[in-house]
Amino acid sequence: MREVGIVGVGHTKFGKTVVPFIDMCCEAALEAMDDAGAKTGRCNHIDQVFVGTMGAGMVQRVSGTASAIVDTLNIRPAMAETVENGPASGGSAIKLGYMAIASGVADCVLVIGGEAMREVTGWEGTDFVATMLHPEAEYPYGLTLPAFAGLFTRLRMDTYGMDSKDLSIVSVKNHANACKNPCAHIQRPVSLERITNPAYIAATNPLVADPLRQFDMCPVSDGAAALLLVAKDKQDEFGFGHKPFIRIAGVGSATDTHVVANRAIPTDLLAVRLSAQKAYKMAGITAEDVDVAELHDAFQILEIAESEETGLFPVGTGHLAAREGRTALTGDMPINTSGGLKAKGHPLGATGVSQVAELVRQLRGEAGERQVPNAKVGLSINFGGFGNNVTATVLKAE
Amino acid sequence: MEMYQYTCTKCGKVHHPRYIVCQNPDCDGREFEKAPLGGKCKLLTWTRAYNLPEGFEMPWLNFGIVEFPNGVRATGQIGFDEGIESGMELYATTAKVRDKVIKYKETVPESKYGFVFTRL
Repeated sequence: MREVGIVGVGHTKFGKTVVPFIDMCCEAALEAMDDAGAKTGRCNHIDQVFVGTMGAGMVQRVSGTASAIVDTLNIRPAMAETVENGPASGGSAIKLGYMAIASGVADCVLVIGGEAMREVTGWEGTDFVATMLHPEAEYPYGLTLPAFAGLFTRLRMDTYGMDSKDLSIVSVKNHANACKNPCAHIQRPVSLERITNPAYIAATNPLVADPLRQFDMCPVSDGAAALLLVAKDKQDEFGFGHKPFIRIAGVGSATDTHVVANRAIPTDLLAVRLSAQKAYKMAGITAEDVDVAELHDAFQILEIAESEETGLFPVGTGHLAAREGRTALTGDMPINTSGGLKAKGHPLGATGVSQVAELVRQLRGEAGERQVPNAKVGLSINFGGFGNNVTATVLKAE
Repeated sequence: MEMYQYTCTKCGKVHHPRYIVCQNPDCDGREFEKAPLGGKCKLLTWTRAYNLPEGFEMPWLNFGIVEFPNGVRATGQIGFDEGIESGMELYATTAKVRDKVIKYKETVPESKYGFVFTRL
């Protein structure tokens, strides 16, 4: 297979978009193209575009997103497909981009992830996200993703002896990282005392899905991110030779039962484990080789659980690693240097692309105040549904 | 209205909800016998959710995952507020769980029925 790498990254400021959905996606795309030096019109080399988005059809009443973007960017006749895999749409779009180049179907792929969720009310937004749940056994009850995270968190607390403060520790860490990320939705520090003090926790950190509180989960965000992928054998020919070639060394994805209750071990995130193992194997690495990781912390419990399922820490000890500061910027296994979904924000389809954009910046040494020294290998986990379709990506600095 | 379990006629694996293909990795059955599912069950985990989707106008709802004596599990609403604890015995009934659905961005009346777990 051909070697595939990333030579351009783009990322809008996450939060509330002031431009239409397609414009927002194009803003990220053009930043990635400018980063690499990619041209439009007759000088265009992009021959495939994948756009990851979950809700554009439902929320914006916009379908055929990839076709619209190709036309808007004047990069016709590039092939164009929209990819929907819930909150892992971005990770799936990257995987497809990799496959297209590695197989020889394409030479240069623009991958975009985007979502604009703040256009509708919180009730409507909660409902559209919940449409990924099982249509007969889960969705009709009024179950939501936060409700499933609450059910999952209680089970993990019962099994591993962690408590609410462990979730807050992760939250405080990710807010601190987001303060160093100009693209983050919430660039505000949070103190552990403020969100855990029993005297006023009901006011500063109210329950959302018991035992989960507001600071145990991500905000609702708009945003887009983009990556320009190219075949190693075409990098110089297309004029991208001046950019570092951040190689996509491994991709993996896996699925699990749609009905969460039917998982053999309900505290397991099997699809996370399997997708990471596939990506490690393809990259020829183990978890010990990872220098920096972006894990899908839509809920803080997921950062803890995924840090175990990916092998970064032994099962049942992820919360202990967070307590000891090992996952902080200055720790031995920095996680979510971008601020994570918790504070950078979680525009569903954008998230997987945003995670990899952060890793590219880390591996290029361009992450500024949040730079992890000498980072050479990065891992991202993008979590779809409540863990029933997960993608993993491993990057290596060449 | 009743909720059901579905037993594969080829291997005997019991399912909830319904599937098109048997979920036993060593079976390829596609036919199922349907039987009512309910009664005594054990609560595995639960949550009280305060931010509910469009169409639910109550301040919160309690949700749980239960396991029936035959090993079948189900998710549903818990129909009471006080004293909910993981591991407690419950009784699964069938009742209305929703009375509005969203169709083409319009919320319209349509009742849905499912599990509501009550005290024994």
